[in-house]
Amino acid sequence: MADAKIFAYDYDQHDYPNGLRLITVPAPYPQVVSLYIVVQAGSRNEVEEGRSGFAHFFEHMMFRGTPAFPPERYEAVLQETGASSNAYTDDDRTVYHTTLTKEDFETLLAMEADRFQHLDYPLEGFQTEALAVLGEYNKDSTEPINKLMEVLRDTAFDAHTYKHTTMGFLRDIERMPQMYDYSRTFFDRFYRPEYTTLIVAGDVDPAEVRAQVERHWGAWQRGSYICAPAVEPAQSSPREAHIPWPTHTLPYLLVAHHSPAYSDEITDGAALDIISFLGFSESSPLYEKLVIEDQSVDLLWASNADHVDPYLFTVMARVKEDPMVPDVRESILATLRGFAETPVDDSLLANVKSHLRYRFALSLDNSEAIASTLAHYVSLRRTPETINRLFYLYEQVTPQLLQTVAARFFQPNGRTIVTLANGDAK
Amino acid sequence: MKFITLPDTTPLISLRVVFQTGASQDPPNQGGVAWMTAMMLAGGGSRTLTYKQILDAFFPMGLSVGCQVDKELITFTAEVHADHLEEFYEIFRGMLLDPGWRADDFARLTDDAVNMLEVELRGQNDEELAKEILYQRIYQGHPYERHDAGTVSSLQALALDQLKAFYLAEFASSNLIIAIGGGYPDGFEQRLRKDFSALPLRARAGVEIPPAPPVAETELYLLEKPARGVAISLGFPIEVRRGHPDYPALLLATSALGQHRMSSGRLFTRMRQYRGLNYGDYAYIEYFPGGMYTLQPSPNHARANDIFQLWIRPVDREQSLFALRLALHELESFVTGGLSQDEFQRARSFLSKYVNLLLKTKSEELGYAVDSAYYGIPAYPDYVRAGLSQLTLEEVNAAIRRHLRYDRLRIVAVGEGMQDFKDAILENRVSSMTYNSPKPEEILEEDKVVERRPILVLPGSIVIAGADAAFA
Repeated sequence: MADAKIFAYDYDQHDYPNGLRLITVPAPYPQVVSLYIVVQAGSRNEVEEGRSGFAHFFEHMMFRGTPAFPPERYEAVLQETGASSNAYTDDDRTVYHTTLTKEDFETLLAMEADRFQHLDYPLEGFQTEALAVLGEYNKDSTEPINKLMEVLRDTAFDAHTYKHTTMGFLRDIERMPQMYDYSRTFFDRFYRPEYTTLIVAGDVDPAEVRAQVERHWGAWQRGSYICAPAVEPAQSSPREAHIPWPTHTLPYLLVAHHSPAYSDEITDGAALDIISFLGFSESSPLYEKLVIEDQSVDLLWASNADHVDPYLFTVMARVKEDPMVPDVRESILATLRGFAETPVDDSLLANVKSHLRYRFALSLDNSEAIASTLAHYVSLRRTPETINRLFYLYEQVTPQLLQTVAARFFQPNGRTIVTLANGDAK
Repeated sequence: MKFITLPDTTPLISLRVVFQTGASQDPPNQGGVAWMTAMMLAGGGSRTLTYKQILDAFFPMGLSVGCQVDKELITFTAEVHADHLEEFYEIFRGMLLDPGWRADDFARLTDDAVNMLEVELRGQNDEELAKEILYQRIYQGHPYERHDAGTVSSLQALALDQLKAFYLAEFASSNLIIAIGGGYPDGFEQRLRKDFSALPLRARAGVEIPPAPPVAETELYLLEKPARGVAISLGFPIEVRRGHPDYPALLLATSALGQHRMSSGRLFTRMRQYRGLNYGDYAYIEYFPGGMYTLQPSPNHARANDIFQLWIRPVDREQSLFALRLALHELESFVTGGLSQDEFQRARSFLSKYVNLLLKTKSEELGYAVDSAYYGIPAYPDYVRAGLSQLTLEEVNAAIRRHLRYDRLRIVAVGEGMQDFKDAILENRVSSMTYNSPKPEEILEEDKVVERRPILVLPGSIVIAGADAAFA
């Protein structure tokens, strides 16, 4: 398997004159089709002050109807097709996804085209939906990791919109009911063909899908807005924050460093991805020490999450007792330093590369999984080919490169540490 | 030993090893022993390999062994690429058939189980907490009462020898179902048969699962803890399960009332879509843990008994009593008025197609096949479709009246201000709704009825507990 293209499916990539892109992946799973509509706008695009959380809120509004399909009718059609349907928003994307049997695919495609072109909701529906979003914030607020990420971003970023989470600052969420006019502006800017890619995976014929998309999406008008979030200035000194938590919890520790944007051309990000596994996965020496031997930590992971703009390489540990936090913190920092100081063993590096390839291959076991995986990458580079390029970069990563990259990105000046504990314990 | 095989020619192989035992079989004073035994197999070392060695071996293959413990089934799952089947299977066989029983694994996994209960469930997930406590209130004195992982104190009191004894008694070849799918080679099935035949036959009689105790009157169990919202779950036992003549009708009915995480159900429409009360509201006739993380249920939660329940996602404190009243109001009109012809047709059309999507992966297909073997029914999609195709609206509404009700409920709420919540219910205080936007007359009129709807409950049947009491 090592030499083959990692994304092995034949796919059809087609651009329409209005800027819309269609990617069709025929897959060997009968009867089922998955449609993922990827809009390249997420909380990254919330460039104006006081608008944090708006992309996510807007995702909710997309279910509030058009003249042809008021919400009740939209729901009735979805229900009759037996579709599993939902949507999500994160930093760089908003994704609307539906999986259903192939006989109803064109019905769905037409209905989706209608709402992307003719969304029209009343003020009342807008204001009611703002409450549902607040309900979503409320349900999420019991989980420490959500608060940790909120404070980490707010602390680590000064200028870029990654300063806020996708959910947004509570103060902005509470003001959403007053932003009806802005919601129309948001739709006008981003719900445009040049921001949108349709992914169709499953029991389909690409030529037929091309024609269907042309029929229903061909008249969609291109927009003109270009979004340019502020460039984050280099961080000049280490930062820290602590969150006192009102209920019983184990202490949490986040250690983050600014990291580069996603790239399928430059190896820096690929090297950091590999470090996240070498240093902090279940098979890492640190996991062995903290989780298996000392048993001072029960959760440990690191993530170099793909982002359009430079983001953060984050290590998370949940520590079993408050007094152990300083030692765990030092172990994490020492592990990061170690990557700059000492070259890793070739066989360990090979294991990570193998892990990444097999994990990817094992995950693509149905049409929905194919479309869902593509949605992530397509929102970054708008083509499945980026996956093959990324995995090619993984193959190029050497122990020496890991050292260089670690030395460059794990500098104290680019670091932010956030802790969370019950009461004031740190 | 039963075998289920779904071979194909893909390079991926799915394996499900399911023991027909579970948390309901925990001996007295050994709450969590089934859970811990299973975790020791999936998350500890085998006799020949330490846990670390297993992790290191699996890592380049990109795989891990999953483990799920329920009341009556313990399931181990793995997906493996054909490149690694041989290497994987040697290790997997050792994990399940020749466990290592190391004290350090036991200490680590006990901590994990305690933290799952105390830190995650009790501390961080009020919605799941309300659901799990609802099961405990419904199954008082029943083998299903305890959480599958036991309690913090029962876990801390367990000894490794008790796990070994449980393993010897319950992980038997005679209550084993092995399901395998994908591109496995010839002879692999025979090898599994031979290897797992080494397990003994089950030597002891299992704990009988009686019907759930009847709910004589409504009870509210209120867990006090600091939170922005109040999470509510309510329900009661039903006798309907897969294979029961009314299962398809009740499945259809609950889909119309509140299909999981879909915006089509009546509860979702009236509570969230019209009123913005919360993030969503759903209805169930089968156990569905972790619903906040997944759109579709995981298989192998098959049970002799199940419950009907409503899941009301966290509501702002000021509106929590109104939300509970509205849920009960909707439940009443659902039970007394039934479905409309239109709702019936849409829900039937939905389920007839949607049921295919539940079995997207080979692993899910195997899991559903195991459940069908448990219930003694045909393949789940065929069973559901056949049942739905013969139903009439009248039959569905009759099944609703037969099995569902809006009184004699167990209600659980988790959040802040529970004393006031209790007082407001006992005093039947009006819980007026105010909105941030104009509402249609129909909604405002309905609100006037809902805001003063009595919740008929005796003062002694409203219990307030500190969240620390949960799973203590």
